[in-house]
Amino acid sequence: MKQDMSLAMAAAATRDAPAKIVVRDLSFFYGQQKALKNISLSLPEKSVTAFIGPSGCGKSTLLRVFNRIYELYPKQRAEGEVLLDGRNILDRSQDLNLLRATIGMVFQKPTPYPMSIYENIAFGIRLYEKLSRSALDDRVEEALRRAALWEEVKDKLGQSGLGLSGGQQQRLCIARTVAVRPKVILLDEPASALDPISTAKIEELIDELRADYTIAIVTHNMQQAARISSRTAFMYLGELVEYDDTQTIFTSPRQKRTEEYITGRFG
Amino acid sequence: MSLAMARPDEAARSAAVRRFALADGLFRGLTRAAALLVLVILGGVVVSLVEGSWQALSTFGLGFLATETWNPVTEKFGALAPIYGTLVTAAIAMVIAVPLGIGIAIFLTELCPRPLRRPIGIAVELLAGIPSIIYGIWGLFVFAPFLQRHIQPAIIAATKGIPGLGQLFAGPPYGIGMLTAALILAIMVLPFIASITRDVFETVPAMLKESAFGIGCTTWEVISKVVLPYTRVGVVGGVMLGLGRALGETMAVTFVIGNAHRIAPSLFAPGTTISATIANEFTEAVGDVYTSSLIALGLVLFVITFIVLAAARSMLLRLERRAGG
Amino acid sequence: MAYATRRLRNLVMMTLCVVSAAIGLGWLLLILGALLYEGFSGLSVAVFTQMTPPPGEAGGLLNAILGSLLMTGIAVVVGTPIGVLAATYMAEYGRHARLTQVVRFINDILLSAPSIIVGLFVYELLVRRMGHFSAIAGAVALAVIVIPVVLRTTEDMLLLVPNALREAGTAIGAPRWIVIRSVAYRAARAGMITGVLLAVARVSGETAPLLFTALSNQFWSTDLNAPMASLPVTIFQFALSPYEDWQALAWTGALIITVAVLTLSILARTLGGRREGR
Repeated sequence: MKQDMSLAMAAAATRDAPAKIVVRDLSFFYGQQKALKNISLSLPEKSVTAFIGPSGCGKSTLLRVFNRIYELYPKQRAEGEVLLDGRNILDRSQDLNLLRATIGMVFQKPTPYPMSIYENIAFGIRLYEKLSRSALDDRVEEALRRAALWEEVKDKLGQSGLGLSGGQQQRLCIARTVAVRPKVILLDEPASALDPISTAKIEELIDELRADYTIAIVTHNMQQAARISSRTAFMYLGELVEYDDTQTIFTSPRQKRTEEYITGRFG
Repeated sequence: MSLAMARPDEAARSAAVRRFALADGLFRGLTRAAALLVLVILGGVVVSLVEGSWQALSTFGLGFLATETWNPVTEKFGALAPIYGTLVTAAIAMVIAVPLGIGIAIFLTELCPRPLRRPIGIAVELLAGIPSIIYGIWGLFVFAPFLQRHIQPAIIAATKGIPGLGQLFAGPPYGIGMLTAALILAIMVLPFIASITRDVFETVPAMLKESAFGIGCTTWEVISKVVLPYTRVGVVGGVMLGLGRALGETMAVTFVIGNAHRIAPSLFAPGTTISATIANEFTEAVGDVYTSSLIALGLVLFVITFIVLAAARSMLLRLERRAGG
Repeated sequence: MAYATRRLRNLVMMTLCVVSAAIGLGWLLLILGALLYEGFSGLSVAVFTQMTPPPGEAGGLLNAILGSLLMTGIAVVVGTPIGVLAATYMAEYGRHARLTQVVRFINDILLSAPSIIVGLFVYELLVRRMGHFSAIAGAVALAVIVIPVVLRTTEDMLLLVPNALREAGTAIGAPRWIVIRSVAYRAARAGMITGVLLAVARVSGETAPLLFTALSNQFWSTDLNAPMASLPVTIFQFALSPYEDWQALAWTGALIITVAVLTLSILARTLGGRREGR
């Protein structure tokens, strides 16, 4: 109940918050197939925006445009504009590595790197910063604390990250994303592979991170979207059907398809 | 909180970005160069073989391929005897090794008691990796004398006077010779063919086999009607790989073939193969024409094996695609 | 067809399969048995401490063993990076490139091409130009054999690294080459080591490529610019000689090679054991 209250307040606040990411007329293609159709929306700064919709609706694709991770694969391309702080990140001159350091991403399946817990975090920090050993230690600790993982792993930082439980692994992935100090964090169904208790921990974590980061989360779990986001976008067949305050989407959606989806009549 | 928001120094970041772009370009170029080097190596093989054999080919022309004479004294060279020996020994080896190899593969996938399957399978794979010189030395010191003493005289006696067979097994029992070489080759490619065939058999979906068993097929019927048709391409590909090995094998053959540049009707007679001729004579070859003729032999071998291996690989590739898709 | 006939046919065919397995495996055991018997009877400390002798005198295989180690070592040091880098292009940067398909096909050809051809190639490339046989030519010939083995296994292993891991590396802003070095190589490490071990196993028994590149040398030599003895070539020469001492040494050498190759293969297999089959 208390969370609902704060959510409502947060939603009210973000309505006027400056936009961190502005998407204009964005289309995306897998080869010939058009997976996103002329999407336009903007994500307010320091808030959580959820993307919901049935599988294949393009919500993950949209997220993957934000850090251009799709460029790892051939025959995938985006058209239109995605402005981060007013700069078009789809521009050819945009450096991809820098973009990804600015816009972090956490994936559906926990993917610790094949190295120690400490190295999992330090790896990303070292890329762009030259720090002393103690400064690096501090940064690793800070990141692990932010991800609410420090207490659980502080005695085994040298052990492999693969030895952690699924939920711990996912928090490790969040920690390493936070560690490089991005401005935006993209979460692609971060809790869908986890048990309910781990899911709750991740949600708590997201709630804490919202104060400092602009967060976009893709989820197929509507309750989750309702619990943690201030704005929600409903997508269907590559189109943005409706985008509004989370409360509005879940209580009085304007579109019929949105209503059908959130009441469980399809999808 | 404020600590978390402190962004890294922008100048340091853009320096890192430039460094990354440079290093990534370099590394990418390096890997691409290494990949190209593989092509260059094959190209180099072709060029050096053609270049090296040029003198022989221009001296003897295409007749090189059809001439039996191999005379270092008069410097008259023809490749027919080694080509004949190569093809005949490889063919006999395959006739023996293919049924045995497939038999072993069937045994391993269908008949072998479960706890023994892995150890025997691993043993077969390990044997496939034993250097061929081991087979050669065994053939020379153990197998050839055994054949000479116990087997060949009996066969010669038994086939004497029978038209066809009599000629095939005529002559004194030397021990070494075409047939001995072929048998050694057979035993050498056997583990290779067996392990590839077994791998190929294991790509058959269990459901396919179970449904055949389910309608009351016997094991042999399942193998002949389901497993073999399903894996035909792969088995043929594996057999061709084995053939490629048998054609190009040097050490297992050189020890026991006798190195005679003659095409004799008898399988007991000594003969030679392309690789055995090169191995035996190359360092002793005097004169450019002689050396060049040996390299021309190498070119012939390369062309033959290239065709066989290319066919084998494209067949295995087809199977892989199907298994993957 | 009557059920009885079908069963009989099944019985006959299955018996044949068992018989073929018995023949094939029995035959191979026979070879190993002879190798163990003959090889062990000549095994002594002298084999590892003395040089190859002239006919009729006692001696060992020390120079041949060291020559083999040296040339194999150089071949692996030269061939491994090339194979790994080429595989990296194929599995990472150029996974969908046309070049990758061509290289994969050509590499498979090189992988099973007759090794004596490689010997001829290096003879033309180096020996003829330098005017004499040399250990370095032998090592290059072996490196040409190492490359396709390492390339094939490394590519296979890199292709097994899940894309999710690459994405995860990329997603924190690491450039591609660092993702490859710190994530992909690390994840594929065991398999890559397996590939190198297999290459060593393959190369250490190769005779044909050394015959007219490194040739042989009866004496101790570490001069890379001069002919060098190797275990396989020494076995070849000694086995075909008429001298019994030499023949005995050839058997012992054969045993040493076999043990080394089997050890390496088993080691490779245990390391890469997480993956079934090939």
